[in-house]
Amino acid sequence: VSSRSTTAGHDDPGLQPERTILSWTRTLAALVTVSLLFVRWYTREGVVTLVPAVVAVMTASAIHLTQRRRYRRTVDGIIFERVRDAAGPVLATAAICAVLGVAGMWVLVFGRAI
Amino acid sequence: MPPQETAAQSPTARRSRLATRLLPGGTEPDPRFTLANERTFLAWIRTALAFLAGGIALEAFTAGLLPEGARTTLAVLLLVAGSTIALGAATRWLSVERSLRHGSPLNLPLLAPLLGMACGAASTVLVVAVIAH
Repeated sequence: VSSRSTTAGHDDPGLQPERTILSWTRTLAALVTVSLLFVRWYTREGVVTLVPAVVAVMTASAIHLTQRRRYRRTVDGIIFERVRDAAGPVLATAAICAVLGVAGMWVLVFGRAI
Repeated sequence: MPPQETAAQSPTARRSRLATRLLPGGTEPDPRFTLANERTFLAWIRTALAFLAGGIALEAFTAGLLPEGARTTLAVLLLVAGSTIALGAATRWLSVERSLRHGSPLNLPLLAPLLGMACGAASTVLVVAVIAH
């Protein structure tokens, strides 16, 4: 049986596109979890916690909305043996996660005061 | 290395200006390696997010369980570790992608010992706080 018959649009038996997309989906879920924890923190620290919560959920939404395009990119990459590196999304995701950590510390310091 | 005419047919392979500036030169690596590097980066990012979630959860849920000083110290430690791991993940992604493009050996992951030290420090603070409490 050809591997092509079991995969959608590409013949990679290692299912690289699917694994990459699912990896982004797990990251999206982790961002939603962090967002919900910031919301839960609202009862202790006040409205200041809602800013990072919104940032995290907007990042998760951006990942969700670009998943189809990302899948196309990875499938094309397997078919044509050349894939565009995801420099933009990678650097943006890392920067936002770092900012969320800084925001957490900011809430720790200023939360009760606002 | 695939022939250039095959690569040129891909409708989504054109590199962004940012990618060209950050990762100049070299040859296009095997797409499977690039995607594997992307997934490794995402695994580090989820580790960073787990640290952030731990830091926030400590402050949000353990109000009466730990002394305030120990709780805040632990939360700050976890948040700093989360941010550092996130930035380290991006640096590591760039370094691996650069090595792939130039066919050079991969650098040792400095993030791994950092992760171990952060976990060790957080555990020590927690144990001391619980015993002292």
